[in-house]
Amino acid sequence: MAMHPFAYANANSLEEAAANLDGETRPLAGGTDLVALMKDGLVAPKRLVNLKTVPGLAGVVAHADGLHIGALTTLSNLASNPELQERRDLAALVEALEESATPQLRHTATIGGNLLQWPRCWYFRNPQVPCWRKGGRRCFAFQGENKYHTIFGGGPCFAPHPSDPSVALMALDASVLVVGPQDRDHRNGFRVVPLAEFFVLPRRDHEWADGYHPVTLLETDEIVAAVVVPQAADGARSAFVKVMERGAWDFALVSAAVSLTMDGNRVAASRVVLGGVAPIPWRANQAEAALRGERVSEDGVARAVRAAVADARPLGHNEYKVALAKQALAQAFRALA
Amino acid sequence: MPKIRKTKVEFEGRIEEREVIVEEEHVETWPRGATLRLVGKPTPRVDGVARVSGRALYTHDVQLPRMLIGRFLRSPHPHARIKAVDSAKAEALPGVALVWHRYHPAPIATLEGREIFPEEVAYEGAEVAFVAARDDRTAEDALALINVTYELLPFAFDLESATAEDAPKVLLDEGNWVSREGDVYQRGDVGTGLGDADEVVELTFTTPIASHCCLETHGSAASWEGDQVTVWHSTQSVFGTRSSVADALGIPMDKVRVISDYIGGGFGSKWGAEPYTLMAILAARETRRPVKAVLGREEEHLAAGYRPGSWQRVRLGAREDGTLTLIEHDAKVATGAFGGGGPVIGGPSKDLYACPNVRTVVRTSRTNADHARAFRAPGYVEGTFALEGAMDALAHKLGMDPLTLRMKNYAEMSPSRGGPYTFKGLRQAYEMGAERFGWSRAVPTDLPNGQGPWRRGRGIASQIWGGGGGPPANAIVRLLPDGTAELSVGVQDIGTGTKTVLTQVAAEELGLPLEAVRCIIGDTLPAPYGPGSGGSVTLASTTPAVRSACREVLRQVIALAAVMLGLEDASVDDFDVERGDIVYRKDPDRRLAFARVTAKMGDYTIVAKGARGPNPDDKAVNTFGAHFAEVAVNVETGQLRVERIVAVHDIGRVVNPLTATSQVYGGVMMGVGYATTEERIIDPATGLQLTANLEDYKVPLVTDTPAIEVLFVDVADTEANSVGSKGLGEPPIIPVAAAIANAVFDAVGVRVTDLPITPDRLLALLSRASNAGFSKEVE
Repeated sequence: MAMHPFAYANANSLEEAAANLDGETRPLAGGTDLVALMKDGLVAPKRLVNLKTVPGLAGVVAHADGLHIGALTTLSNLASNPELQERRDLAALVEALEESATPQLRHTATIGGNLLQWPRCWYFRNPQVPCWRKGGRRCFAFQGENKYHTIFGGGPCFAPHPSDPSVALMALDASVLVVGPQDRDHRNGFRVVPLAEFFVLPRRDHEWADGYHPVTLLETDEIVAAVVVPQAADGARSAFVKVMERGAWDFALVSAAVSLTMDGNRVAASRVVLGGVAPIPWRANQAEAALRGERVSEDGVARAVRAAVADARPLGHNEYKVALAKQALAQAFRALA
Repeated sequence: MPKIRKTKVEFEGRIEEREVIVEEEHVETWPRGATLRLVGKPTPRVDGVARVSGRALYTHDVQLPRMLIGRFLRSPHPHARIKAVDSAKAEALPGVALVWHRYHPAPIATLEGREIFPEEVAYEGAEVAFVAARDDRTAEDALALINVTYELLPFAFDLESATAEDAPKVLLDEGNWVSREGDVYQRGDVGTGLGDADEVVELTFTTPIASHCCLETHGSAASWEGDQVTVWHSTQSVFGTRSSVADALGIPMDKVRVISDYIGGGFGSKWGAEPYTLMAILAARETRRPVKAVLGREEEHLAAGYRPGSWQRVRLGAREDGTLTLIEHDAKVATGAFGGGGPVIGGPSKDLYACPNVRTVVRTSRTNADHARAFRAPGYVEGTFALEGAMDALAHKLGMDPLTLRMKNYAEMSPSRGGPYTFKGLRQAYEMGAERFGWSRAVPTDLPNGQGPWRRGRGIASQIWGGGGGPPANAIVRLLPDGTAELSVGVQDIGTGTKTVLTQVAAEELGLPLEAVRCIIGDTLPAPYGPGSGGSVTLASTTPAVRSACREVLRQVIALAAVMLGLEDASVDDFDVERGDIVYRKDPDRRLAFARVTAKMGDYTIVAKGARGPNPDDKAVNTFGAHFAEVAVNVETGQLRVERIVAVHDIGRVVNPLTATSQVYGGVMMGVGYATTEERIIDPATGLQLTANLEDYKVPLVTDTPAIEVLFVDVADTEANSVGSKGLGEPPIIPVAAAIANAVFDAVGVRVTDLPITPDRLLALLSRASNAGFSKEVE
């Protein structure tokens, strides 16, 4: 498939970049997903605005409201950040980063781009297949080859969200800082969106001009500037578990991130998120409710794990993901016990 | 003098008697235990630095002045009729040199009797149009401008759908079955075997479609000078390519030169001229510019072959003491739209064990896919998975140790040929492997059963393969005035280390240091005929020819030395070559340094040709091996870790332990992928391949690599050929999947009969077993 011609410009500032964006002008960060989509002829922007020339978009800075991770920070730089490495409350993020992709990809891919990935679904990625996510009429996976597809929240698209770090970040209650036009909810040019709202389940009325149904609520004239990880309560800890078919360079069959804050030996608060199972990182609210005020005992974990998958709706070939989700969660709890 | 002789040659499980011209002067076989200077010593690849430094030129690297790039438009449909092709816009695109398709055909429209651009396209990826343009991007743009009108036709995407009662036709004018009754082998009688059995096991297995995933995708480049064409072709057979190019073009062989200096993997998928080869050659002739056409990674999955998936049923019968009374092995495969015969899946069942009653059947169907190709031990990989899995189940049912059961049924003679082997070292392989692996010891205790989710288990599987090689194969050796030598052999090094072992053997024979021999391969121009590198024959076919040529060189050198020593009347046989000296045996003080003889030569070059002699009459030449696997299975997640493989092989004399070990590493890794992660998945609804990339088609990575321990029986097979060696290209992949699946059974008590062994499959089996209250003890 031929890559379409496009114009290319370096941006000097976020505002400048955002002002130029529309459906046909797209921002370029690491490019590990966008360029591949362009090469496969799946998207054909007329212009790319390179964000890597914008000063100050990479790196980690501590602010009053938490750590600000610049959207252009590469996954490898983020994983090796000394502050992240030290903090037990952020362990889930470091683990998720280190299990993502390959070293080569992690050196190029950015955290902002990672959150904005399109699904890896083999129907979506095949230019011959007019699937719903790309503006077609139906999901081909629903009754097709769906061993890697969703068990929660599916329909009309059943492709899971591919990002590992987003699962951890959601468990850490992170938000994104979005830059966009002044005229729309952007105080001082920014709006802050919790990840729990940022990722959106597939909806027929949520589509871009090219007919694609996006995975986040980011508009085509907005840019993710940073990820904000709030200060956790004292003693908070987190863990991430990823189950793959091979030892590396594989998207998660299932992943699980758990963040716990204890009150003595009982759970004061928890955030439990599953990856690889839903069109978005999937928050397991029932598991969190089941844990509240409980000990992290074998029984407590078992109850939480059962609650987490109570609403699972597997497809024809992915019943095993229900068992895997339970095990991944249980492993994450064991890591924190 | 050349003579015509009959000799038996085994190739990929089929034995044929060939009439061949042989001219080998008798070369004394290196005896067992012979003291050799270079052969048998770990020797780094002579071209290793060139390979790792990027200086080695692969077909992909060919860059010639004014070279055009050729690309194909391929069918996006599994089955369609082409109604119209509009290429006007593509032809008008600046930089496009030519566009060929059904309605604007190339000067030659067929290859090996098949239309290159047929009206009926029968698989996704079938060639629809060819473009040659100034560069890759222009060619891609041109492809996008070609408008094809397809009439979609029903398709059959797999074995089951192709062989169903009301199956859609794969090809409009052909039946879907290539062979419904199948290739049948039989000895004894199934009924007798059943009647004599105290215990019977019957299991059904399936194996996936596997892609070769050559690191260098298929490709060719062509350049004409007058009426002569040079073709660079990533191939396992430069001479096979020369014949097929000459045939396709209808020109004499001497007008065709084929070069394949370095090959980035073939594994059975790269042979003669292919559509891209012919198009590159024709476009080069038409445009008077060199043309290169190489496949992209997706095309490599769609149109460059695969190991067919299989359905297999194995029934074994045995007496209480383990003596086999019956092996019945029924297989079905789908080999694509132009389905050739099926692979020899019954081969292992025919020959691995002494059993009086054996029946194997391989039935073949078409499917709407590219044609299946040989893939590293075709048939034997699939067949061994089933047979050795069934043997494991039988051992369990009999309450016997799986190794004991195999020893009990050890075949001293070739079961299918009835005669002896030149040498069979399988018993030694079992013993060496068991010893190294610690087979008789309990499962290691650092990860005990019942603690945590991981369970450990161990399994074995064994293997038989050919690899004896045979004639014809030639070598030419030129001894230069400074005492160095050039060795020219008509083979190619597909990554196994061929160039290095040829150099070792020549230097050994000539008494020269390794550095003083330059080996020229991968080119039809300087070399006499050499075989294609398939069936693991390269080393066993060519190294004896090298010895023979070197002996002839020495005879000539000795004749000169005799004159220089004043021994004109002595016979050539009165001299030995020792440490670079030519020594008169009757009076060892009369000796002359090799270099002094060659120094006398002036501008004279000694040239000698050698040929591979015939194989021994009425003896089977085979390779054998045994693999011992240790795995860990997570009973909660269904994840499988292959922790350790001990691989022991009998390939006769090991010429280069370093490259041989490397070969086993590669084969084991490929087997681990086949067993645990690799699977081509085709969408039933659209007939499209969903795994035509290296993300969804999962080859194993470093993280998936077990500890691999490689041992060789290393006893020269002195009756096989004058070097005493047999091939190793294919053997190391053969028993891997079975050994792993058997180890999984040992670990968790479920018999995995469908590959690859992925978490979803293992979890389903584990859950079924626990629901049924099954345990290992009551399988």
